[in-house]
Amino acid sequence: MQAEESRTDLGAVRIHKNVIASIAALAAVEIDGVKRVGGDFKSGLLELIGKKSTASIKVEFNKAEEVKVEVPLIVKYGYNIPDVASKVQENVRNNLEKMTDLSIKDININIQGIERG
Amino acid sequence: MRVLGVIFYATVLTLIGLVFITFAFNKIQPQEINDTLIYIQNSPNSRFIVGLIGLLLILISYSFAQLILGRFASEKTIAFVTSSGKVTIALSAVEDLIRRVSSIMPEIKELRPDVIATKKGIKVDLRVILKSEANIPELTSRLEEIIKSKLAQVLGIEEQVFVNTHVAKIALVEEKKKRETDKQEPTIPFGGYTRG
Repeated sequence: MQAEESRTDLGAVRIHKNVIASIAALAAVEIDGVKRVGGDFKSGLLELIGKKSTASIKVEFNKAEEVKVEVPLIVKYGYNIPDVASKVQENVRNNLEKMTDLSIKDININIQGIERG
Repeated sequence: MRVLGVIFYATVLTLIGLVFITFAFNKIQPQEINDTLIYIQNSPNSRFIVGLIGLLLILISYSFAQLILGRFASEKTIAFVTSSGKVTIALSAVEDLIRRVSSIMPEIKELRPDVIATKKGIKVDLRVILKSEANIPELTSRLEEIIKSKLAQVLGIEEQVFVNTHVAKIALVEEKKKRETDKQEPTIPFGGYTRG
């Protein structure tokens, strides 16, 4: 995994992709209507061996140093999906901008399932 | 990448097929296979190379399989764009939703939805098993209405929803219950006799 680097007078500050993924995961589950962050095969395997992973959240940097985040979600039954998704996008963007000062390009939400809350 | 994956699997399977065909035409003798295997086993270098090829093949096939499956999975979604990015809803999530909606209807014993996103709208095929007391025309129309309104409400989409219902079976609940209660009350042998 790559890390986003910013230079200061005293040296370089690198933010690992995992950090961005963790912020995105925490910001996503804060929203009412989100049951949990979804998973894929890799994150499922990591969870099996007892590692809590944010591997299912994809973080990409483009040449202009903009961040693209893809968050898989499981939504609670009874909630309006577009409403929940847009609130998640907004909260993830606010938290990422507040904590990392990065420029956020896209926050893509992938609704993987619906579960009873 | 998907094409590469298909080429990889096709090549491996063709090679295996060719080996079998050559063997069938008696072009390869069992002795030759045996000699080759012995030669590989005797040299540590060739054993290492064979092991490496095996590992490489497993890794390549795993990554290709993941790519192909990932591509197939990503195609089965409903997507819309917001100001912050794209939102995709997996069709399996829509199926989950329909299953949960139907659980509020006691007349339905089992429901298997199959959701397909087409250019015209969302097509929902329902395969239902009903309980015997259900009024089929009334129930199916109510089910279709509920699904349509719930999908519009939860997914917030303006596309048309087509619901096709297929009643696969009507389960006889009362008879089953009766049979179960019969099983639960075993008759005591000589229970009717008393001491005089």
